[in-house]
Amino acid sequence: MKTSLPWKLWARQVMAILRIELAKNFKRKRAIPVYVLAFLPFLLWQTHSLVHIRGWRTCSGSEDLMVYAGVFQVFVLRLAIFFSAVAIFMNLFRGKIVEKTLHYYFLAPVRREVLVVGKYLSGVAMMVIVFGAGTALSYLTAVNHLKLTASRAVVPAAMADLPVYVGVTALACLGYGAVFLVTGLLFRNPIVPAVAILSWESIIVFLPAVLKKFSVIFYLESLCPVKVPFHGPGLLFTITAEPTPAYLSVPGLILLTLALLALAALRIRKMEISYGTE
Amino acid sequence: MSGGRIVFEDVSKFYGDVLGVNRVNLSIPPGITALVGPNGSGKTTLMNLITGLVRPTRGRISVLGISPDDPERLFKVVGYCTQFDSFPRGKTGYEFLYSSLRLHGKSHAEARELTMTALELTGMTDAAGRRVAAYSKGMRQRIKLAHAICHQPSVLVLDEPLNGLDPMARAEAIALFRSLAAEGLHVIISSHILHEVDCISDQVVLLNSGYVVAEGQIQAVRSEMNQEHPLQIMVRCSRPGALASRVFTLDHVVEVRMHADGRGLLASTRNPDLFYQALNQAVLEGLIDIESVAPADDDVHSVYQYLIGNEGEAL
Amino acid sequence: MAVYKRGYEPYEGELTPEWSRFLVIARQAYRRVFESRLLVSYLVLCLICPVACALIIYLPHNEGALQMVSVGDLITIEPGFFLKYMHLQGWLGFILTAFIGPGLISADLANNALPLYFSRPFTRTEYVAGKMSVLAILLSFITWIPGLLLFAFQSYLAGPKWFWDNLHVAYALFVGFWVWIILLSLLALAMSAWVKWKLAAGILILAIFFVVAGIGSVLNEVLDTRMGSLINVVQVIDTIWSSMLGLASRSGISPANAWMSLAAACALCLHLLSRKVRAYEVERS
Ligand SMILES: Nc1ncnc2c1ncn2[C@@H]1O[C@H](COP(=O)(O)OP(=O)(O)O)[C@@H](O)[C@H]1O
Ligand SMILES: [Mg+2]
Repeated sequence: MKTSLPWKLWARQVMAILRIELAKNFKRKRAIPVYVLAFLPFLLWQTHSLVHIRGWRTCSGSEDLMVYAGVFQVFVLRLAIFFSAVAIFMNLFRGKIVEKTLHYYFLAPVRREVLVVGKYLSGVAMMVIVFGAGTALSYLTAVNHLKLTASRAVVPAAMADLPVYVGVTALACLGYGAVFLVTGLLFRNPIVPAVAILSWESIIVFLPAVLKKFSVIFYLESLCPVKVPFHGPGLLFTITAEPTPAYLSVPGLILLTLALLALAALRIRKMEISYGTE
Repeated sequence: MSGGRIVFEDVSKFYGDVLGVNRVNLSIPPGITALVGPNGSGKTTLMNLITGLVRPTRGRISVLGISPDDPERLFKVVGYCTQFDSFPRGKTGYEFLYSSLRLHGKSHAEARELTMTALELTGMTDAAGRRVAAYSKGMRQRIKLAHAICHQPSVLVLDEPLNGLDPMARAEAIALFRSLAAEGLHVIISSHILHEVDCISDQVVLLNSGYVVAEGQIQAVRSEMNQEHPLQIMVRCSRPGALASRVFTLDHVVEVRMHADGRGLLASTRNPDLFYQALNQAVLEGLIDIESVAPADDDVHSVYQYLIGNEGEAL
Repeated sequence: MAVYKRGYEPYEGELTPEWSRFLVIARQAYRRVFESRLLVSYLVLCLICPVACALIIYLPHNEGALQMVSVGDLITIEPGFFLKYMHLQGWLGFILTAFIGPGLISADLANNALPLYFSRPFTRTEYVAGKMSVLAILLSFITWIPGLLLFAFQSYLAGPKWFWDNLHVAYALFVGFWVWIILLSLLALAMSAWVKWKLAAGILILAIFFVVAGIGSVLNEVLDTRMGSLINVVQVIDTIWSSMLGLASRSGISPANAWMSLAAACALCLHLLSRKVRAYEVERS
């Protein structure tokens, strides 16, 4: 009887979920820390350039792009996006179980798989919009500031990296989003897995190349336009594997995401409402 | 649509080792059906099974021909008012209904319209602008009811919908159920107080510790209970021998046993009402002095007595 | 017998003294804590380092052992040694806090249990003190108590001169660790009271340490200053401990600033606690 799947219907439903969820994601009070994390680098770069303009401090600009790359890889990717993804994506299902409101979603005439996709996309859309804007603004500010310094010659080349930074940001949201959506669905108390993932993504730099392929940060870092030589407590940090070329790491990351989403869909099909004691 | 039924075929649900419901076979026609049983008897489990919130360990369920596995079709025809007393954070009553209707795929205008209708039907129009978190228990109960009926389903599953309602609201809710049932809907109500629902139900399903004890129209259920499970009544009195010979002539009394200490007897009866009458008669005639009368703790019957509630006590 | 037939009799036995009643909360909490095998093994793990330190202290005083290792390999026991000890145990304490802390108040909030507490002769202060004592007692057992024992052991082996010369180390161990304990437990309780969801509270505690520290380093890098370290909890406490031990800290902030930042953090936590630990919540409508 059913020869073709009702893709059109599903697309409409996903859109409906997006409409409802997206507004909620943006307006929630818990989203404020996410905004702060996303736009903090922008504010700081603004201040950096202001300090220079006012002449309180001089800056040759030669280090700026390197500092930007360091801040981006260590702070934006590993901390800001990571923790925001934890907050937003774990809330999508696990939070609803804790609040005992998940059944309201399950009582709607929507396939559970569609529900997963809709909710995931709503989280991703919010993260990409917020962090994409944050990254673009901060990068533009940093590069703009270079025009006032001795290093103004590098500006055109640097501008070419803007889409790369924004792209990497978007991929990070995609990847971490899927990771934490699944963690939130699979575990009753996801804090231990969350800490485990945090540690895993942090120690991954020390591990052999084969294992690196199972982390999100690995793909992201090989995509970053400026490689940062880590200094400080770990000379060990310099053992980087051959960075994977973009034509492999982008599909790699997307495949990882799709696999995780499929896992989430499988899990939620079987899910029963039983709000135990948390 | 009116020909459709909700069918349970040999359905069992275990939560790990804990029994939820066992070997349930039911076929529920349109009209008001009451699921009645004490706490923990499996009412909520049955309702969650109908709506696919939990999956049966064994057996099959179909709701008007739709499997509960298929929410896309199921919830176009089913509305469920759950027992959970929790709501999406920070929403007003209006927003709560409206956003749910949007999830059903209704347009803005349609959702607005349906929301207003449901609010009206449940008497919540005035409170619609306030946050659900600030509602009283009765208002929360009513907004949940509104949520269940707002998309105009043809099967309405209501888990203890009368809980927490004051007498006025209760009467209004019951009138609402009646009018919905009159339109040909399946209205399934659960309660742990039989006399609260038996006058409005077309049929009742009695549940006890996961088993369907009796099912059918209320009159049939009453007599079935009495036929199949005679009630044991323990009477402590003076001169039990005299009482024994008196009650043994009654044809609803199945068995009489004397106590070893000679100060009481145990009688099994199919019609407790008549038995109690005979007992009263005996006292009035001065035949015996009664020390105590109590139904013996027979499992099914104690439940039934509990359900029947004050009717049993009245005698 | 039916309940209503029983006569009402008030309790006339002895009551526990009022000041110690907050410990009831700690007692209940420990029952749960010691049910978890993971936590018990973690606590044991936390005591490995003090034992190892005791061995290191003992080694130079044992002639048999001295013959096996050359004198140059031995670690001299000086304030720097104790700073390392403090950092290690401090981290272990943080992890313990992240384990236990989030559930302390959030569970009561989520289950609406606060009205139950406050409908007894039990004040909000006592409630918070009770919850704090859960962490404080456990943390004491892995921080300053073994620390002072190590100090006493070294004084016993090295003689009274070492003791008098290094008395400030004992002070640093005791006061420094108490500052850390108070900071950790206040932070954990505030987070636990701020969000009703245990998991979110746990993540917040981690975030305070890692993300806020990260923000601090970004501040330092981008604006080329050292003020960012003021919001880095680890740097702040390192500054304070170092100054107590008479050592120079690498954090680049002054002890006075560090103390101020610490006080501000504690005040903020107390404010949050006083707002959230209430018998009821008012819903704006
Ligand atoms: N999520 C669950 N996990 C374990 N046992 C459950 C769960 N839900 C219900 N039960 C058990 O199933 C039985 C039936 O419960 P329920 O259907 O809620 O009864 P009722 O609604 O009639 O009070 C009870 O013994 C209850 O303890
Ligand atoms: Mg129930």
